[in-house]
Amino acid sequence: MSDEISSFEFPPATARGDHLLSREDLLRARSRLIIRRIRADRRWLKLLWLLAGPGVLVMLGENDGPSMVSYATTGASYGVGFFIPFILLTFVMAFVVQEMTVRLGAATHRGHAELIFQRFGPFWGYFSMADLVFGNVLTLVTEFIAIQAGGLYFGLSSWVSVAIGVVLVLASLSFRRYATWERALMALAICNLLFIPAALFAHPSGAQLAHAMAHWGPLPGGFTTAFLTVVLANIGATVTPWMIFFQQSAVVDKGLTRADVAQGRMDTAIGALIAAAAAIATVVAAAPLFAAHVNVSSFASGADFATALQPLIGTTGATLFALGIIEAGLVAAMTISTSSSYALAETVSARHSLNLDFSGGKLFYGAAILSTLIAAGVVLIPGAPLLAMTLTVNVIATLLMAPALLFLLLLVNDREIMGDLANGWRTNLAGGVIVTGISLVGALYGVITVFPNLLGQ
Amino acid sequence: MPFDRALFDALEPGQRSEISRLPLPRKQLGWSAKTLLVILRIYVVVAIPVVIYAFIKALDH
Repeated sequence: MSDEISSFEFPPATARGDHLLSREDLLRARSRLIIRRIRADRRWLKLLWLLAGPGVLVMLGENDGPSMVSYATTGASYGVGFFIPFILLTFVMAFVVQEMTVRLGAATHRGHAELIFQRFGPFWGYFSMADLVFGNVLTLVTEFIAIQAGGLYFGLSSWVSVAIGVVLVLASLSFRRYATWERALMALAICNLLFIPAALFAHPSGAQLAHAMAHWGPLPGGFTTAFLTVVLANIGATVTPWMIFFQQSAVVDKGLTRADVAQGRMDTAIGALIAAAAAIATVVAAAPLFAAHVNVSSFASGADFATALQPLIGTTGATLFALGIIEAGLVAAMTISTSSSYALAETVSARHSLNLDFSGGKLFYGAAILSTLIAAGVVLIPGAPLLAMTLTVNVIATLLMAPALLFLLLLVNDREIMGDLANGWRTNLAGGVIVTGISLVGALYGVITVFPNLLGQ
Repeated sequence: MPFDRALFDALEPGQRSEISRLPLPRKQLGWSAKTLLVILRIYVVVAIPVVIYAFIKALDH
């Protein structure tokens, strides 16, 4: 099949300079033909189903191992209260940010890393790519920690669970077709909703949830450094730099055009809604630990939460929780490793697409494979500073969100490349508030990291 | 494999890999964008030591 596609030859070069469709073009063109037919038939649900993917994957990918541990910590520390509507708000912020990447990808047909490199020069291009790839490799380590921890809950040794994780991540890269990769990951990512039945085993009170949503409370303990840290962790669990790079590249690889922006928005909104439901369910599932006054400050992984929850929500609930942690780590490992590949290949002008075969995408696939193997290897090194890495990942993600958001806003206001899809004043206002808010929060996080006693206890 | 015009036209010109690999021209930045990028450089210079400090401090845990 691949040979047939690679040798697909068109008539001699035209004035437009195009004479050959590559394998990635051909696969994308076939998808576009189907989209065109479905749109002409006005089958809107089918159209949404076909065009959905990048938004759902990026939102559920960000509900990763460390994020679910953050949500569990939130539930165990504060119960059902302030953080329920707050988490919903963070996903609204995530939607506003990610929607811009849909428009950027559909308007320019270029990834985020290559746009920064080409429009703002090599310094910012290499900087953005390097900080993303470095942050991603560290984040990948934390995903394998989640997979390992989930495996330990089921009695699997670290080696076995990490090896299974590596095999599955590498297998996901073997499809050589974006559409297949996307659907396989979506099927896996929907298992993020395992946290909802886990939450039901905690027998949550509907009235308590409604009260929390309506009153943004209660907030036990009030405004402390610990509260602020949980706020920052929840923001860091929802809006991160890799999401911007990943979704734009995925939109381009999927072949979305200006005509598909409405469906791209819906895809992102649906992803945000599902991810918010899973995140809130995790808080609710862990809330019995708050009621039982369990101290979770020494908990290092999702497995600790699952073990502690077992007597409170039962074996089935705890098992679902542990399975959810494994799924969270696995899906994030697949999306984050791909995000690094896209960014690296885009920056150095190498071919970048999940439609490529291996010979055409050596750098693209090589980067994902290498980063996966490095991250998995680090987790298995005896005495490796895994906790230090986990803590540093949060600092890097929060601090580097400001530059990523600033470039996003600059690019989405660039009318030369965006045309009529450029930001209007409303999106600039919303984006500006979010950029300013996250930059201030990031700076505050940095200050608290260096001066932990600045705000007292 | 015969030339398939419908397939060829299914992609917008900018979507074809040959064309999308051509670099876009560098953006001409106004003073406000230049100022933002200068502030960003300062931010990065401050942020990197914070990340290094955070990692070293986390090693003590």
